[in-house]
Amino acid sequence: MQSAMRLDSEADQLVSLVDTENPFDLSLSEILPRQLAAINERFQDRVQKIKLLQNRAETGRITEVRRMADVVPLLFAHTAYKSYPESWLMEQRWDRLGRWLDTVSTNRVRYLDASTSSGLDEWLKRLEDQGHYVSCSSGTTGKCAMMNATEADLKFAGHALLQGIIWAGLAPNHDRRMISLGQVAATARNKATGKPMAEAFSPPGIAPFVPNVPPITIGSITQMVTLRKKIAEGTAKPAEISQFEAQAAAREQAIQSAIEQAADALIDHRHVPLHIMGLFGPLYRVAALVRARGYDGKDFRANTGFVSGGLKREQLPPNYREFVFDTFNLSAERVCLAYGMQELNTTAIRCKAARYHMPPWVMLLLLDESGDQLLEPSMSGELEGRAAFFDLSLDGRWGGVITGDKIRATWAPCACGNRSPSVHEDIRRYADIAGGDKIACAGTIDAYVRGVA
Amino acid sequence: MSQVIESNTRPAADRVASAPFFVRGKLVEGADARHKSRDLGVDFTTPRIDLDALITPRTEPGPLFDVKLSEILDFLVETGQAMQRDEHGHLEACIELISVTNVLPRALIEQNVRMAAAYLDKARLLEYAEQNLGDSRLLDEWVERVDSTGRRSFTRAFPPRLIHVLPGNSPLVSVQSIALGAMVKAVNLLKMGSSDPFMAVAILRAMLDVDPSHPVPRSMSAVYWRGGDDSIERAIYRPQYFDKIVAWGGGDAIKNVIKYLMPGLQLVSFDPKTSISMIGKEAFDSDEILDEVATRAAHDVGLLNQEACVCSRVLFVEGERAQVDRFCERLQRKLVDRNALSGKAPPLPREMAEEIEALRLMTDDFGVWGVGDGSGLVVLSEQPVDFHPINKTANVVPVVSLSEALRYVNVATQTVGVYPPARMPQLRDGLASGGAQRIVRLGDAGGQSIGAPHDAMYIMNRFVHWIVHEDGFASRS
Repeated sequence: MQSAMRLDSEADQLVSLVDTENPFDLSLSEILPRQLAAINERFQDRVQKIKLLQNRAETGRITEVRRMADVVPLLFAHTAYKSYPESWLMEQRWDRLGRWLDTVSTNRVRYLDASTSSGLDEWLKRLEDQGHYVSCSSGTTGKCAMMNATEADLKFAGHALLQGIIWAGLAPNHDRRMISLGQVAATARNKATGKPMAEAFSPPGIAPFVPNVPPITIGSITQMVTLRKKIAEGTAKPAEISQFEAQAAAREQAIQSAIEQAADALIDHRHVPLHIMGLFGPLYRVAALVRARGYDGKDFRANTGFVSGGLKREQLPPNYREFVFDTFNLSAERVCLAYGMQELNTTAIRCKAARYHMPPWVMLLLLDESGDQLLEPSMSGELEGRAAFFDLSLDGRWGGVITGDKIRATWAPCACGNRSPSVHEDIRRYADIAGGDKIACAGTIDAYVRGVA
Repeated sequence: MSQVIESNTRPAADRVASAPFFVRGKLVEGADARHKSRDLGVDFTTPRIDLDALITPRTEPGPLFDVKLSEILDFLVETGQAMQRDEHGHLEACIELISVTNVLPRALIEQNVRMAAAYLDKARLLEYAEQNLGDSRLLDEWVERVDSTGRRSFTRAFPPRLIHVLPGNSPLVSVQSIALGAMVKAVNLLKMGSSDPFMAVAILRAMLDVDPSHPVPRSMSAVYWRGGDDSIERAIYRPQYFDKIVAWGGGDAIKNVIKYLMPGLQLVSFDPKTSISMIGKEAFDSDEILDEVATRAAHDVGLLNQEACVCSRVLFVEGERAQVDRFCERLQRKLVDRNALSGKAPPLPREMAEEIEALRLMTDDFGVWGVGDGSGLVVLSEQPVDFHPINKTANVVPVVSLSEALRYVNVATQTVGVYPPARMPQLRDGLASGGAQRIVRLGDAGGQSIGAPHDAMYIMNRFVHWIVHEDGFASRS
């Protein structure tokens, strides 16, 4: 799939398995030596290109990747992608942000005249002209992690996802009306990932339904972050805060409008087969609205769906999944569930035995809670720990990522019949598990900022 | 969430620390509930909480209501002596236990526990009360006053009913809360923190060695429950039982407490604070002076391994980049030198270390000295960094003039250490206006005048219930 696959490259070989019928049936002993060789290949190439990786290799005294443990010091946490000072964003110092982005990118970020970009979205657009597709994920503190990707990355993400959906048992055949619930950030990655799926399910020439609301751009997300900083510093004026709160209320209305529009679209198209895409939070709200309007599963055809991501801290009743499925006449066999994140190119797909499987071009590394120690893969039973991955398909930035997720994983063959490592569907964030019991006199200005989370 | 994390059914071979309670003058032992300490994840067991036992009905005067201040002080002094003798080894055991649940090095904990005993000094405690209340007689009697119109009144600093939500980061706070709580003759409930569920009880046990029937221990309870445990807090955080919740910190801990505030139940809040340093260009007058200034700055940064609010985290330095680089290099060395004294801090959390490593690559805009292993790290940046420096990390920000640094002072700023001292008078109004609460000489962040304001208030003044008896116009009676 990737444009310039080298046959002598183990990494490229593994990535190319995306086009085979079942890439998920390789056991640890078959795949591990190949993955290690491939990661080493990526390492030798990128260590000269990604400054932060070079620093990491020097600190960890890693010159070669031979064992899984060698990968651990080379993993980047999401903070690596948000290590730029927020003040540069506030002061629109695009030249400096560009220099920063360069240190965490494979391909050089060339100097951009700061005066020619009027805002973050504009700057990101100009980076795209250079071939840098930056996606953003906002963490709990609001500061955005900015992650660089190439066009090939975006294409691969979308293609791999479609292949995974097919592997999961859905058979796209250009015969379903696709309804997307929207409400995801308008990042290059999000836009690109859904495209092949949409083309494969929809009849030719029919674009998926997407609620007509203002897009959530990276610029609009970071506006909130910069205002928060100004409030903390005491430089934000009340009128500015009031205006921001009005914007936030408008956004909230847009979310509600998107829910209503999606419910209308679903009801309008209930007589044709649908492919429904969204997160469980919004899906639940739309389902509740559709029920309130008097429709449920018997009114819909046998529909298919794709759901990625967790609950994003939404509080839903325990039977939320059944509720959504029953409302839209979905079923476990006809819905592809996935575990993915902005930090990775590849989305792990849930199998029939309700486990997320890792494809051969993604190494699963399970670490202790602190993230410092590797837990050696176990061929029997499940191990619990912090999830980390090496995604060999990543081109625009380093593929080693340590996450904030607490997972249970096994390398033993899965009940679904496949031998690739798999992750239990109960995935939690360490940040959500930590209690509010810490009490000390030292603290930050964060405690003094109200209303802008 | 239930207070009982897990019932204590594990085999005895599995060693876990036992944290007994102290309830209204009696030690309560038991291992009915098992908890995990927040910072280090060490398990400890406690008895089950008897909620009713924690409450003194308002119809029943507190044990200290009619005890004279002087007698209370005498008892506290004897408690301090008993702590020093430590006949039953409670304090010694306490040092061992805290060093397992707390991030502070053992030597620092030991030093703090010693200081706790020395804190119970009669003359100093009396001076504290005088400074906080203006007249310590107000604690014992209804003090008469006739105003300028001839109206007569009697005022008393009446004993309150207090819940002290103790922080876990300094054993000294336990002794201070107990001493002040006793001096204002309060009914006191001390809720201990998970990183130190031992110290308060150890002090109270020393009181039992002095006189188990004395009203001071009978006015005290010290227990642990997991902060935010609704099943306990909803039941007892009520104005029918308590007047004030005295709480430290911010974030989730304070949000938990704020939920329960209502008419009749007030918050006395020691807000979460950050401290800073301001270093004038005079620091570069000679190499000897630079060395001295770096030593003082390292003291303020490294104090209590940077766990406390008084510890400096951001240092504004007046000078050119090259000069400030020299200061940074020296400061980092001085921080490392301090390790001989108090040990290293824990390594930086991975995410913070990662952010700093990324800054290290941008040499034009940042400078990084040292490594993130807790031995002392200095990060130079044009503006204060976005993360909160902890575990012996100093953020140095060069400024053209110290007055320029005033814009970085905010409502979270507590202590500001200034060099040279001669510049303090010029800066203090601006610092106070910005939100800072304490201005000290650089290197003296830990020093404190007896009874000085803390977090912009006189603590004892906030603890008591100010009650007035209006007696009309004396001449017309």
